[in-house]
Amino acid sequence: MILVKDLSIERSNKKIFENVNLSLGPGKIILLKGKNGSGKTTLLKVLLNLIEPSSGVIYWKGKLLKKNLYNFFNHVTYIADRTSSLSKLSVQENIKIWTKIFLSNISNSQIENILKTLKLDIYLDQKVNSLSFGETKKLEFLRLIIENKKIWILDEPLSNLDNESINVIAQTFEDHRSKEGSIIFSSHQESEINVSEEVLL
Amino acid sequence: MMILNKIISFYYREYKLNLSGFQDILTNIIFFFVSIFIFIFSIGPDKETISSIGIGIVWTLLLLSSTLSLRKFYQDDFENGNLLIMHLNGLSFGFIAILKTFSHFIFVQIPFLLSIPIACILLNIANDELIYLFSSFAIGSFILSCLGSISSSMNLMNQRNFLLGSVIVMIFSVPIIIFSVGIVSLEENFNSLISILFGILLIVFAINPWASGLCLKLSLENN
Amino acid sequence: MKFLVNPSKFNKVADYIFLPVLISSIILFSIGLMFAFYLSPDDYQQGSTVRIMYVHVPSAWLALLTYAIMTLYSIAGLAFKIPFGFIINTAVAPIGAVFTLMCIISGSLWGKPMWGTWWVWDARLTSVAILFIIYLIIIFMNLSFENRIVREKVVAIFVLVGSINLPIVKFSVDWWNTLHQPATISKLSKPSIDPSMMIPLIVMTFAFIMVGLAIAILRIKTEIISRKSNLS
Repeated sequence: MILVKDLSIERSNKKIFENVNLSLGPGKIILLKGKNGSGKTTLLKVLLNLIEPSSGVIYWKGKLLKKNLYNFFNHVTYIADRTSSLSKLSVQENIKIWTKIFLSNISNSQIENILKTLKLDIYLDQKVNSLSFGETKKLEFLRLIIENKKIWILDEPLSNLDNESINVIAQTFEDHRSKEGSIIFSSHQESEINVSEEVLL
Repeated sequence: MMILNKIISFYYREYKLNLSGFQDILTNIIFFFVSIFIFIFSIGPDKETISSIGIGIVWTLLLLSSTLSLRKFYQDDFENGNLLIMHLNGLSFGFIAILKTFSHFIFVQIPFLLSIPIACILLNIANDELIYLFSSFAIGSFILSCLGSISSSMNLMNQRNFLLGSVIVMIFSVPIIIFSVGIVSLEENFNSLISILFGILLIVFAINPWASGLCLKLSLENN
Repeated sequence: MKFLVNPSKFNKVADYIFLPVLISSIILFSIGLMFAFYLSPDDYQQGSTVRIMYVHVPSAWLALLTYAIMTLYSIAGLAFKIPFGFIINTAVAPIGAVFTLMCIISGSLWGKPMWGTWWVWDARLTSVAILFIIYLIIIFMNLSFENRIVREKVVAIFVLVGSINLPIVKFSVDWWNTLHQPATISKLSKPSIDPSMMIPLIVMTFAFIMVGLAIAILRIKTEIISRKSNLS
């Protein structure tokens, strides 16, 4: 669905990466690997049209992505390396806000199930800033389910997580793959997630 | 219909956010009243003097206290990435700026609007002048919200010198102060002055989404 | 005319014209000052203080002109993506600030004997003071952002928003009833100033333009170099 051709990025006269080619189809998981500062986050931001590439084009369903931006946004979930949950509000309130913002029709029992598997159900009434960093990160993944979009763009989803949660996430990725969804994520560490393509930056 | 739902959910989120930080807004209002006390102590409690310069004092302090809350305008949402999420949810940056401006007007300026009558009692401002002050502040505060949106979006990436944002708002609010205080002293010119204020409002409201949207996009690109 | 938008072409032209500009500014200044102090007549009302005009008026014009140039280059930079516009913005702002400050100081020196006060809060003076503060904010913004790409664009946006002040400065004497006298020289009508005062005024204006141009060339060249080597 997404086709990236000969993408190069230059920022303040410094080349970050050159001639990256990607194609993200349904049922595909792409892992971006690379050292710190190799431009993983930059590439993801280029995909979201936040940064103008210095050369190269991105197509979305055969058309230029730039011209169909909001159509593209309707099908994509982005999770940054920072947590977007509102720290002053409780976990439950955050979930309620998310379901409203993303116009989601997910049922309460579904959310409860996910919270149980992520071991977050005991914190439901606590404020987010009393949670540990790994727990807020897990809470962030709830957005993937609530938004219910086809394409997931994830920036460093595996950092700061314990093995158990990584397994849960690997399982979620598999489920999404079997539902014809596609995922592109960046990571600097080895993991057991079964990816269909690795891109070294 | 979808866009309407998105707007409603945007304001639901703003409402929840502001409710959890309500003591911040209350602190702003307390700042406003304490500065009134200090003004009165510094010029002496003479009734005539106070009521002659009262309107000017109220306007100055309203301006100062509303610049205090500028930091919250975009900074929090920018730092935790919610601005980007809203954009990915299908709202353009300019539209986010408009929605945020209205939200600032509703949740920060309206409480000030409600506290004006009490300030007028403290400053011996006559009841018929209160109406002029009230109507001028209703328009002026919206202009201040627009200016606040512009200046705080400009200063998102400015880590060193945040006071610059307040200075920008204050320098552009000079004409607003001139015309709004003029409304009270030149009562026969009420209609023409209120039209001028309204004209400024329209200009600023037109500039706001363009300037703020561009600045938001820039800051997100280079963050 | 490519040198107005292209840094390397600008460098070539600047090397070519810098010395002539500098020399002509010195010549024009000496002629202008001679006229201003010795060869022009006293005003029949204001006496000798009218000579302040030969500094006051050119610096005021140049303060406005500098801002207008910055506005044009901001539009060029933002709308047409010409990076040279941002270079001009950063380089020229302090020059405009100095001209505005000169205008304010000479004006208040002139105002003390004429109006009996250093400063009045009338529309022209206030709007020029605001222009000065806007220049200062632009300079501070240039200093306080760490990321160059954000900084130059944000400054350009601010310049555009602040350009609202420009017509207010220009027309404040017509719109409001001010203590400051209205413009005596305008394009549309015959100037209400005597040629014996007009000539030194024009000479001084060109001298100011040449000095400003010389400093601007130096500043723009340093700005281009510092960008090439990624210093800022």
